[in-house]
Order: sequence, then structure tokens, then C-alpha cells
Amino acid sequence: MPFPNVRLSNRPLHFIYLCDCSGSMAAQGKMQALNQAIRQSLPGMAEVADQNPEARVLVRAVRFADGAAWHLAEPTPVQQLKWRDLEAGGITAMGEALELVAAALQSPPMEERALPPVLVLISDGQPTDDFDAGLSRLMREPWAQKAVRLAIAMGHDADLEVLQQFIGPEPAGGGKSPRRPLQASNATTLAQYIQWASTAVVGAASMPASRVSGSGESGESGSNIPLPDLPPTLLDPTDDVGPLVW
Amino acid sequence: MKPAWQSALHCSVIGAAHQRQGKPCQDASMSCSLGSAQQQLQLLAVADGHGGSRYWLSDIGSREACRAARAAVEAALRQHPLKDQEQWLRQLQTELPEAIQQRWLDAVQRDWQQQPDAQGAPFSSAVYGCTLGLVLITTQWWGCTGIGDWDLVSLEPGGEACLRSQETLEGGAAEATTSLCQADALSAWSERAQLQRFSAADAPAALVLSTDGIRKSCATDADFLQLSRELIALTSTTELERGLREITAQGSGDDVSVAIGIYQGATSARGRSALRRWLPPAVVLGLSAAGALGWWLWPRPPELSPLQRQVAELCQAPAQIDLSLSQRQGQFAQLLRQPTAAQALINEPERDPLGALIAATANGTSALEACTPLKQALNAHWQAARKTPLQPPRSPQTPAQP
Repeated sequence: MPFPNVRLSNRPLHFIYLCDCSGSMAAQGKMQALNQAIRQSLPGMAEVADQNPEARVLVRAVRFADGAAWHLAEPTPVQQLKWRDLEAGGITAMGEALELVAAALQSPPMEERALPPVLVLISDGQPTDDFDAGLSRLMREPWAQKAVRLAIAMGHDADLEVLQQFIGPEPAGGGKSPRRPLQASNATTLAQYIQWASTAVVGAASMPASRVSGSGESGESGSNIPLPDLPPTLLDPTDDVGPLVW
Repeated sequence: MKPAWQSALHCSVIGAAHQRQGKPCQDASMSCSLGSAQQQLQLLAVADGHGGSRYWLSDIGSREACRAARAAVEAALRQHPLKDQEQWLRQLQTELPEAIQQRWLDAVQRDWQQQPDAQGAPFSSAVYGCTLGLVLITTQWWGCTGIGDWDLVSLEPGGEACLRSQETLEGGAAEATTSLCQADALSAWSERAQLQRFSAADAPAALVLSTDGIRKSCATDADFLQLSRELIALTSTTELERGLREITAQGSGDDVSVAIGIYQGATSARGRSALRRWLPPAVVLGLSAAGALGWWLWPRPPELSPLQRQVAELCQAPAQIDLSLSQRQGQFAQLLRQPTAAQALINEPERDPLGALIAATANGTSALEACTPLKQALNAHWQAARKTPLQPPRSPQTPAQP
């Protein structure tokens, strides 16, 4: 090894699910669909991680209901991840979940050379705690500002406004963009969105190209990482595929 | 006697990821001597094309950036004597940036006319977007300027590595950088411009200019500074290329470039470093015992433990002490929460020498054989950790059984 006293390292890519586990998620198989979608996405995510060895994809998950807690606390290499099912029950402490993630995004423990993290918030309802305080706490962390933040609304009861606040400002003119909450009204659509986030987005975040500061080039995507296109069948996040179940 | 500089080295290597994706290397680098015997300087330059679909000609942009830098410096050299340091500081702050940017714009515009894919589309310099860092070295001063996320490290006569220039962007937007394609970013150049005078007694041993792929391949800034020290031991472009391939393969996967200027008086240090790396310890010891290589070839004591080596490394580079310990604030706190974790670190110091050092000083540094700055820094970090309210360790939520 040419540099025996130097720790060369690939760059960690933290991927964090924030999962709504409130009681309403038990209805119409939503919780089951979410567990299934995440579990099914893991092989594809691992494949993308293997194709990008310069990034070390590490997955964590937060569950929130009456309170928020780490469901998967240790940043786990996706190749080693075994998904344990989430269970529904309680209210929607979304703000507390954001605070929990904010603490994890402090530096340290976040590595100085990390890639921008990916945060995926999935919810079917409205926050029952102080969402604004949680979001404000989260966005004080530089790593949260740098993060790729995505939101998936499960069903028509989800609070699109708070999900949009989590993502950041909606791009001008609306239109087709992953910078709006992705609306899933059945298990198939949910699985497609989760698959997209865990493969296409992870792939883009694993090898980000430089971005010219202050150029406004993030444009419609509004993200620190140019977001890949949504799956072809879901070009408009409000155009759902399949039956309206939720 | 005026300090003299050896011929500089430079090298760019395609990133492991770009190679896999069939993309060209978007970095470029240069080192050369310019001027006459009476008016001579060494120029180091590195440029990093932004990559990505929006900057699809940035490999050309980075090559043209190095060429523009050389042409602009040559022109300035014809007009201004090197001893006029105030003039050269102005050059670095404003004159060279303007000249380089204009030359670069002209060059990429000419290239655009030749691009078969342009198909009459309006010219935009953005597609050629890249960063550029340059260092000028004379016998009395060195200076740097540039735009973007390049880094410059100096190796001081005592062996200490110092980060002399880095990009600091407000908000720390991820993967964002200033760019040569930003016509309104001349102020970004002047923020990076500096001119440092030196004499034979305090000339830096080397200057290492690198693109961001190098720093991003290192686990920490302390590793980056150490890497800069080790890079100057690579004595040929072939060795440098092999080293850079290793860096990108094990690190960020990004294209990587360095340009290195070495002060002639540092030849012995460079040779010593290379010898220490390539010769078996026994050979080094034998040579040392015979006194064949002179006073500067000190043997690496084979009996040093990993912890002692860590102490020696930090004491030889005091600037790294606080940098290294600051990155372990979490470890200080964890050891306060779980004192039993210290023993595991102490038992396997080869796995994490710095962690073992921290763990070994939880009860004070009086028993530690180390330099005073290291002891003081360790004490200060322990004190700071104790003042921070203890947080209970986070544990995963145990899911309810189905």
C-alpha cells in the first residue's frame, strides 16, 4: 500500500427512512404495504451500492407514532440489512422524528467527508406534535440543508403541506417534479416510489457531480443533488397508477 | 544564498467511477518553469471539470484552464520583475484572474465552433465549467490564486503540513463550488490570493496543490495532511500516477490531480521519506548504524507501539493535534458515558491508535510520555467533554413482537 499512514476511505451515504407508524397506518394494509415495499427495495438498493463502491450506503430508520424512536439505529450497510417490520399504533409525532434525525445529522457523529444524506419521509396523516419546531431543529443542521429530502404521501389524508415544507419550496410552476410530495394511493405505487428513492436517487447521490455555487442550477429539482427522473409511469406525482385504495 | 526549487511534478488520473462509466478524465494539471535564469518562476496548476451532463465539455475546459493560466503568467512575467512583490500580489488578486478568465473564455469559445455536437447552438461557457488553482514559486516568495474547491498544503521545514488555502462557501452547500465559468466570480479569486515571502532558512519544504478528489478520498483532514507529506516522497510521475490511482480507487472515485513543487533544500527530507518507506526497517537500521547516509537518515525505532507512534506523529506535527482531537469529540463523550469501552480501545491500539490514546488518558495525562502541546490538548478536550451534559446512549427501539 503506497500510503501506509493514511486512512483512505470511500464516502458514507446515509439513507434515512422516517416512517409514520400511527394507528391509521394499520388501516387498509398501509403498514403492511410499507414494510413490503421497503423490504422488496433492498436488493435493488444493494445492487446500486455495489455498482458505486466509492459510496458506502448506510441505512437507518425512524418510526414515529406516540413518540419517535430509532427503528434501525445503527447506520447499516444496505447489503447487511434485514428489515424488521414496523407496527402501527398511536398518533403522529412527526416533529419529534425530525428532531431525532437532526441529532443524528450533527457533526460528529456525521463524518466530514460524507455524501449528502438522503431523507425519505413517509406519512399518511397530519402531525400531532410541534412539526414546525422539529423542522426548524432539523434545518439548523448543515447536513440536513445539504440532504436530499423526499416525501411520500400515503393516501389522500396525508398532509401535503407539511410534507412540502419538509422537502423545501415547491418549484415554480408546479408541474412534474420529485420536489413535490409523491402521492401513493395503493401498494403498487408506493413500491415504485420506494424503489425509485432507493435505487435511482441513491445512484445519483452516490456519485454527485460538482455544482456551481449560486448558479441556481438546481433549478426545478431544487435539490443539492440533481434528482433523477421519476419512473416513466409516474411522471406526475399526482398521477397515480392503479386503483385508488387509500 | 537564494533558495532553489526542483523541477515540479504533476499528474492527473481518471477517477475509478468515471472510468467505470466510460467518461473522460475531467481533471487537468500542469507544472513548468517559466521565464529566464534571472526572472524564473515555477508554475503549478490543477483544474477540475465539473462533470455531469450540464458540463459535458468540462474535460476540455480544465485543459484550457491550465493553458490559459500558463499563458497569462508568462505574459505577466514579461512585464513585471519578480522582485516587485506588491505588483505580483496585485497580479494574483486581480490581474491574473481577469487575464486567465478572458483567455479561457476565448479558448473555449474557439473550441465550441469546432464541436460537431454544437450544431449552431448558442455558446455557453457553462458546459466547459471547471475550477482552477495555481501556485507561483520564485526564489523569494510563493503565491497562489484560483477559483473553486482546490486545496493547497505546504510542508514546513520542520515537517509540519499546513493547509494554506481551501474554498469556504457560506452555507456549505453540498458538492457546490465556484467556477471559472462564472464571469461574475472574480471576487472568489481574490479571496484565495496570497503571496508569502521566505528565505533559505524558512522556505517551505514543498507545496502540494490538489483537486478536491484527493481530500475527499481521505477519512479526515488529518489524513489529508499526512497524505500530502507522503506524496512528496513519490519521486517520479510514474510513482505519482500509481499513488493517485490508489487514492481514487480506495477513496472518492473522483478524478484526482496534484502538482507538487519541492524546495531543493528539502531533497534530503524527500529521499529520507522515500527510503523509510521502501527499505525494510532492518536495512534502514543497518545503514544508520554505519552512518552511511548521514545524520538525516534516522531509523524508525521498531520497538514503538502503535500508541507511541501516534504520540510521535502528533508531536511532530502540532498543528494536527487539535484537528485530530476535535474530530473525536464524540469518542470523548462516549468514553465518559461508557468508561468500560476504554479497555477495548487500549487492548487493540493498532485498530484505532488515536482512540487508544484518548482512552489511555481518561484519567489524566501525567503518565503519558508525550510533548506538552499534546498533553495540554488532551486535557482540554477531556475537560470540555466533562462540561458537556451527558446524554444517555441511543438504543434502537425494540419493536413489538408480531
